[in-house]
Amino acid sequence: MESMLGVVVAKYNYWLYVVLMMIGFYAMIGKRNLVKKLLGMNIFQTAIILFFVSMGAKRGGGIPILDKEAALAGAVKVAEVVNPLPHVLMLTAIVVSVSVTGVALAVLQRIYKEYGTLEEDEILDKIGRS
Amino acid sequence: MKTLALLATILTGAILLYGTADFAPWGDPESPPNRHLSTYYIEQAVKETHVPNLVTALLGDYRGYDTMFELVVIYCAGMGVIAVLRRSDS
Repeated sequence: MESMLGVVVAKYNYWLYVVLMMIGFYAMIGKRNLVKKLLGMNIFQTAIILFFVSMGAKRGGGIPILDKEAALAGAVKVAEVVNPLPHVLMLTAIVVSVSVTGVALAVLQRIYKEYGTLEEDEILDKIGRS
Repeated sequence: MKTLALLATILTGAILLYGTADFAPWGDPESPPNRHLSTYYIEQAVKETHVPNLVTALLGDYRGYDTMFELVVIYCAGMGVIAVLRRSDS
């Protein structure tokens, strides 16, 4: 029972991100509205960003902004500063996610102008008829 | 269709949850992502770049080209939006 609780405490953040990611995944493949699909993709990306940032966490670690004199003297303990590398990589991922969302919204607007709807099955009907 | 999607979601989620068993515990300072490359950055970044904020030092100095060519990503996205939304004369 004690070890069970230890596993929950050690891993619950990953489980939460899996749940969040599966919400986005279901929205992407199960919903018919294209805007809802796009929202699902954004939820998916957010789950991945949270997952990466949480991998860099250290128990008892401070923010990765160092005291300059102490750092130049080599007096910084690695275990007391959280890992800055996932944060940087996720900044890049956020930029990509914003770009993808922008282009996708533009394409959706164009689809709405062309077909008058954003429901996938209605669009497929209209393509099939013409 | 919806049941198939739900089934695929639950299956993928179960596989991912099974995969978390191999991850390092949350907040472990000795976990693999915290042990290899980032220790060098935490110890040496201020000496090499004189930037106290490690995220800024990494983003603007070690990964400078990456950050610079992110502008290309934004630019391409902007050109894509313009190309898609431009009012055609026909």
